[in-house]
Amino acid sequence: MRRSSWKAIASVLSQELVTTAALLLGVSLVVFLILYLAPGDPFAALLGGRNLSGAERDAAFDALGIPRTWYGQYLAWVGHVLQGDFGISMRSGQPVARELFSSGMNTLFLTVGSLIVTLGVAVPIAAYAAVQPASLRARAGILLVYLVSALPTFWLGYMLIYFFTRKLGLFPILSGSDETQEYSWLFALLPVVLLGLGNGALSEIVRYLREEISRVMSEEYVRTARAKGASVWRHAYKEALLLPVSQIIAAKMPFVLGGAIIVEQVFNWPGLGRIAWQAAQDRDYPVIMAITLLAALVVRLGSFMHRAVYVAVNPRASQQ
Amino acid sequence: MSATPLLRIEDLRTYFYSRVKHAFVRSVDGVDLEVMRGETLGIVGESGSGKSVTMLSAMGLVTAAPGVVTGKVTFNDEVPQDLLQGLEARVEIERRDGRIMRVAKDNPSWQKQVERNLAGVRGRKISMIFQNPKMALNPFETVGQQIAESVRLHTKLNSAAEAREKALYWLDQVRIDSPRLRYDNHPFGLSGGMSQRAMIAMALAAEPRMLIADEPTTGLDATIQARIVDLLDDLKNRLGMTMVLISHDIGVISRLSNRIAVMYGGRVMETGPTAQVLDEHAEGHPYTRALLASTPRPENVTATGRLPAIEGEVLDTINVPCGCRFHARCHRINDAVRARCEAVEPELFEIAPGRRIRCWLYAPQ
Repeated sequence: MRRSSWKAIASVLSQELVTTAALLLGVSLVVFLILYLAPGDPFAALLGGRNLSGAERDAAFDALGIPRTWYGQYLAWVGHVLQGDFGISMRSGQPVARELFSSGMNTLFLTVGSLIVTLGVAVPIAAYAAVQPASLRARAGILLVYLVSALPTFWLGYMLIYFFTRKLGLFPILSGSDETQEYSWLFALLPVVLLGLGNGALSEIVRYLREEISRVMSEEYVRTARAKGASVWRHAYKEALLLPVSQIIAAKMPFVLGGAIIVEQVFNWPGLGRIAWQAAQDRDYPVIMAITLLAALVVRLGSFMHRAVYVAVNPRASQQ
Repeated sequence: MSATPLLRIEDLRTYFYSRVKHAFVRSVDGVDLEVMRGETLGIVGESGSGKSVTMLSAMGLVTAAPGVVTGKVTFNDEVPQDLLQGLEARVEIERRDGRIMRVAKDNPSWQKQVERNLAGVRGRKISMIFQNPKMALNPFETVGQQIAESVRLHTKLNSAAEAREKALYWLDQVRIDSPRLRYDNHPFGLSGGMSQRAMIAMALAAEPRMLIADEPTTGLDATIQARIVDLLDDLKNRLGMTMVLISHDIGVISRLSNRIAVMYGGRVMETGPTAQVLDEHAEGHPYTRALLASTPRPENVTATGRLPAIEGEVLDTINVPCGCRFHARCHRINDAVRARCEAVEPELFEIAPGRRIRCWLYAPQ
């Protein structure tokens, strides 16, 4: 890659860091306020539902070193987070950071894997349909994609589980619960495939990619490549694949994370989605705050990746 | 000059299907052309006369369906090679009253066949340059990379360093100032004229037998146009290259070409040596005469201060009229030939060696 590209990526990264910091602060403040204003008192919950009078409460706060005002509490939380301390889960008593790390890795596996599945299916179909739009195979591929995208994730998920565990008996129903089954490692792939195919974005991605590819294929410079006897894709892949695919990843990141929640429920997958679900039900405030931050960070990461690809590929962007 | 032409196009037909009008646009409708070794053939005609599509079809670069329908394109380099060989089998044509009514084409396999036929010819033996060079060069790569790619694809030089040296040599040959700087420029950093020079360098870097220049000066400033024409003239003479020049600009055509083919409505109307075809006082096709009279030159301006335009509408290539394609706009049509002009399309009558005119006025008695 050119040196100017690296420089451009570095400058995008520095811009992105500033925006991300501001965004995380904003997101955490909004979520904090919503939680603060929501009915229910975490302090009372800690005491097992016992209500304290105002004076008793203030005294207990002071004794525990908890600021009395909401902004005081928020700033205290921010201070701890900046030191890497996300607090202790109210449900499990474990440090939030440790709890989120292991489930975060599980979700990372799920989301990245599902994106790979989505693109692995979408890119060939879209490319074929763009190059041979009238062919029967292309039409069949597109139809199949629309069909799969129209199926609800939870239904498709239960169908997959039913088929593979009950009909074929290949997987255990609960992940990791039965080590003796031969193909249990394959079980990890099922939710990945489900999230990859059934998150509803597949058809949209195929349509977008197909349009981009067929647009680029009719660009004059692609005709020039053909006229000079060069490989068409060698000239077209940057604009027809790299840019749209990175755009898709950036745009779909939030939806993939959202879809992960459902899939993790269906498959009993110990990931962030399930933790988030439980935390929301249990009002596990430190966990909710940390997960929100993490989700926002991942979404920003997607957008950084897209911008980095854009400036790396586009000479114009890197020279301005 | 040897007797066999380097490139021979026979009865080439390229139709596009208009979804809006549910009909074929007959862009190229039975074109015969020959390009002799070492000559420069100029193809001239109004926009939409099919001059670009003819050469794009011959090079298998027309991708829209149905595209090339029939024809034979023979490239006689060492061994004669039909560039459109085997395509008949992939196109099914239904005729009624001698007209093509329906074309069913197996596009995927047609495309494959074209790529097979033209591998080793396109870019290597026949290079092309296009109009609008800034769009026609890959915007994501430096012009140097694009020229070096051409070198590595088509010559024996294989190492990156050698290809780079050769690319710099060609940049120098097309007289780009400071080639070493330009090598690392992207097309957006170059002016239109410089982009066209880079494009020419890229085409020549393959050391082709033939160069097809598709409107190479269209869209450039007038002064730049003149310089590109000078450059092409110089390169053509020095390299002894065969060239097909497509342009609507008669000035450019007359500067560069030995022979001219005039196209109208997807057909060749007149061919002959440049001097004869462009001589306003000599015999010639009424369309060519009208075209010459409407070129902006001081002597063509009428008393009212206007240029004479060709009367009537540009030919409707969907509902091609019976008879001569030009008869509705012809100012030399007279009662002696009118009946034939309206009913039967004339052939290309040979009025002198190497000079043919598609007009009933020149029919042998």
